[in-house]
Amino acid sequence: VLVLTRKTEQTLHLGDDIRVTILGIEGDRVKLGIEAPRSVCVLRHELYLQVQAANADAGAPRTDMQTIAAAIRDRQQSDTGATTLA
Amino acid sequence: MSVTVEANAPPIDLTALSPESIITFPHGLVGQPEWKRFVLITSDEDGGLAVLQSVDNDQLSLMVTDPVQLLPEYVVELSSADRTLLGLDSEQQPLLLTTVSIHGEQITTNLIGPLVINPRTRAAKQVVLADTLYTTRYPVASVGSGK
Repeated sequence: VLVLTRKTEQTLHLGDDIRVTILGIEGDRVKLGIEAPRSVCVLRHELYLQVQAANADAGAPRTDMQTIAAAIRDRQQSDTGATTLA
Repeated sequence: MSVTVEANAPPIDLTALSPESIITFPHGLVGQPEWKRFVLITSDEDGGLAVLQSVDNDQLSLMVTDPVQLLPEYVVELSSADRTLLGLDSEQQPLLLTTVSIHGEQITTNLIGPLVINPRTRAAKQVVLADTLYTTRYPVASVGSGK
């Protein structure tokens, strides 16, 4: 890991297109200003991990697909007021 | 765009798929850069559940659903960069799918990271909605309770 020390209002370049500026520091919170092309996805790491985990969950090997489809069907039928056979 | 199968049909022959049916995520999914090429498998008796089957790994399939069926007000704001990547002009509506998973008895879908697909070119991207009140585990139904 590259470790750099920067002061408030100082900036880092990541390649030619991305700039990260330290806007302020309050206690243990650092406010960053990020300038990047729209094509660059900037995400909080926690959110990235959540979506990655949801993808892994959806791709987990399973044999219960038919059970799940049946549960969703039942839910839809109860939503529309149709009778379901127990 | 999708391949329809009968319930209890044998596994589809991935080598026999036409290239027109393949949905491609050029950059893979979030945190899964190698998950790139899929085919969408639907059936009439699936309660809105479909499967994105990997073309490159027959062990990999993702359960997906149509989030708009679930939440009619669900919208995904696409940046112009995303529209360019997907080859969508400003008029064209993409196909939206969200992944489905099961946690105990709860079936949930990920409304934070929808899969956005150009229905014409089948180019696709997983978009992450950073500033919404949605969740990665939006409840869809429960297994076992019958509701």
